Amino acid sequence: MKFLPLILRNTFRNRRRTILTVLSISVSLFLVSTLRTLLDALERPPMTPESAMRVLVRHQTSLANLIPIAYKDRIRHVAGVEEVSTYQWFGGVYKDPANFFAQFAVDPLPFFKIYSDIRPLAPEQFEAFVKERPAALAGVNLAKLYGWHIGDRITLQGTIFPRNLELTIRGFVSGGAGDSVLFFHYDYLNEVMPNLNGASSFVVKARSADEIPEVMDAIDGTFTNSTAPTKTETEKAFVLGFMAMWGNVRTLVVSISTVLIFTIVLVAANTMAMSIRERTGEIAILKTLGFTSRDVLGVLIAESALIALAGGLLGSLGARYLLGAVDFQTYTAGFIQAFDVKWETVMLAALISLAVAFGSTFVPAWNASRLQIADAVRRRGE
Amino acid sequence: MECLATSDRGCGTEARRVIPVRYNFRSLIIRRVGTLMTVLGVALTVAVFVSILAMGTGLQSVYLDTGDPLNLILIRQGSQVETNSFFNRNLKLIVEATEGVSAVAGEAVVLVNHPRKTGQPANIVLRGISDRSMEMRPRVKLVEGRMFRRGLREIVVSRPIAERFRDTQLGSRIKMGRSMWTVVGIMDASHTAYDSEIWGDYNEISAEFERYVYSSLLIRCADASTLPVVRDKLKNDRRIQLDVFTQQEYFEAQMGTGSAVKFLGFMIAAIMAIGSCFAVMNTMYAATAYRTREIATLRVLGFKKRTILASFMLESLVLALLGGAVGCFLSLPMNGISTGMGNMSTFSEVSFNFRVTPGLMLNGMVFAAIMGVLGGYLPARLAARIPIVRALRTEV
Repeated sequence: MKFLPLILRNTFRNRRRTILTVLSISVSLFLVSTLRTLLDALERPPMTPESAMRVLVRHQTSLANLIPIAYKDRIRHVAGVEEVSTYQWFGGVYKDPANFFAQFAVDPLPFFKIYSDIRPLAPEQFEAFVKERPAALAGVNLAKLYGWHIGDRITLQGTIFPRNLELTIRGFVSGGAGDSVLFFHYDYLNEVMPNLNGASSFVVKARSADEIPEVMDAIDGTFTNSTAPTKTETEKAFVLGFMAMWGNVRTLVVSISTVLIFTIVLVAANTMAMSIRERTGEIAILKTLGFTSRDVLGVLIAESALIALAGGLLGSLGARYLLGAVDFQTYTAGFIQAFDVKWETVMLAALISLAVAFGSTFVPAWNASRLQIADAVRRRGE
Repeated sequence: MECLATSDRGCGTEARRVIPVRYNFRSLIIRRVGTLMTVLGVALTVAVFVSILAMGTGLQSVYLDTGDPLNLILIRQGSQVETNSFFNRNLKLIVEATEGVSAVAGEAVVLVNHPRKTGQPANIVLRGISDRSMEMRPRVKLVEGRMFRRGLREIVVSRPIAERFRDTQLGSRIKMGRSMWTVVGIMDASHTAYDSEIWGDYNEISAEFERYVYSSLLIRCADASTLPVVRDKLKNDRRIQLDVFTQQEYFEAQMGTGSAVKFLGFMIAAIMAIGSCFAVMNTMYAATAYRTREIATLRVLGFKKRTILASFMLESLVLALLGGAVGCFLSLPMNGISTGMGNMSTFSEVSFNFRVTPGLMLNGMVFAAIMGVLGGYLPARLAARIPIVRALRTEV
């Protein structure tokens, strides 16, 4: 620690170079932190104790095949099941195909009991929604985005379903995963689409998280030999399966991050090599003054660590606070609910910086610290 | 000093205006470790840029290559894609009777959720095809095994699916719906959208999934001149009420995911480029500082500020372009790598190959040049403005 003033002096000896290096490292670690957070958002969707009690039932073949609506009652009678609701993706177009957001046809009362974290802004709004068949509840982000008010009528043009829906906004919801979703009555869809009588999925709430495995087996067991065999998954597995559709994001993120880290090593190594070469004469003087080789090595590595750490923290904290201010839920139509660069990620960025500093500086610093004083003095300025 | 004079008058006053490029090369070689590291830094940025764009290009080319100029496709109004479409089978008879139509294939598509070899599931398009389907897609060829037989639960699988998904190899049996289906053939659709599909007999598939409808009608027109006529006739036929697209339009409308990948590539590369610019700047500042006295000498010899600026910019450009070239070279092995991504309009997975094209590499070089110019400008300006007298007095 007694060398701290020396290290600081050295760091600021060529201010421009230090700043450029810090910025260069910070930009790379900004990207590494962002990519890692993206991967987190896709692979570890936010889970609550409540979500651990939910399972989703779909047709064994895929979500594009419908399960008969009559299965809902049979599922409700499976031991351990507390509530069931239809959960049907509508996928309609609101004015323009570019306005993409999630729209679900549900059974109002059971659905909002199952997803009690999605809360209507006022109880009256919810009551009005339940009473009226062509009514809709909109997530607060959607309301903001499209300027919807209570009583507004909107038309969703069907893509999967060959009918258009005329809905009246009766209220707004927020919380959970509902901020960017539009909910309406399944019964209304079923009325508009004669002979539908099916849904691509049902959401089920179990009495307790412990009963989940039995509930899943029991539901699938009920329909094994039926016309529509089902596949029941935990909410987490369902979400992950949906995200997996994007392709192998993990490989992409890991390879880009590896390249980025390697790039920082190059930048840091180049900087340290330059600054050590310039300083050969000084190192000779330090050694003449009685600094050991180890002292010199330590001072050089500490300097590099300081620069890399500054860059790493600037980058990852920058990502944390800059991206934290962006409303991802609205921009990604609810695909990404939160984009928080976690403290874990900031720590990881700091560790990467230190590793980079050590990896890039050790060789030139080692060589410099081994120099014989006489050689070093002679080499000065080369 | 050797000079690359523009005139044949040799190293006269004319020649002195330009500093030979060789000087820059030499100075890059003298500081070879620094040069190498900077070049590699730029190279990696360019390699990431080219690779992600190669992914986007590969994905888009699937949709650009699939459409046949003689084919029309009919789907339910407003359904946008086949996977959302279904309509009455009687419509086929009306279409077949339309003048100028030489062949019609009624098909049904079903999405099947199936695990990849990695274990993660993805949706695959299972297509029930009819007698005329193969001849209307001349680019699809059976390369192994045999065609499925009518009336049997048999399927042929595209090669990329066989390579990337579980139990889809020749002879395997997979469960789809309630039955077991046997893979009897492997097809090669020469990198079109059909390379992401499984094909079986229409009647078997519609029976298995209780889809007694068509998802789409594929229509072959007699020749290119009848196509617009047929198209108008079908559009205006009140009995049909289906969306009519040329096969090319239909697939081009699905390129959204590819554009998103390209956008991502630009964003990531732009951020990386900022970092690389700083690195180039660092190197070039060092180059300037190292040569302060030389520069002053050049000024004394009569070289103009502008000339010094140009010379240093050139050096930085050379540095970056070397990086660009190495980066393009590094991205070459990506070419042809096969992968899959979700198509957000059909909710199914598309198999495609990375495509590193000469055009992309040119983009990479331009990108590198931009980094060189941006990173080199400030140091070059500093070099040009060095105060001569003080610089000559400095040691080193």
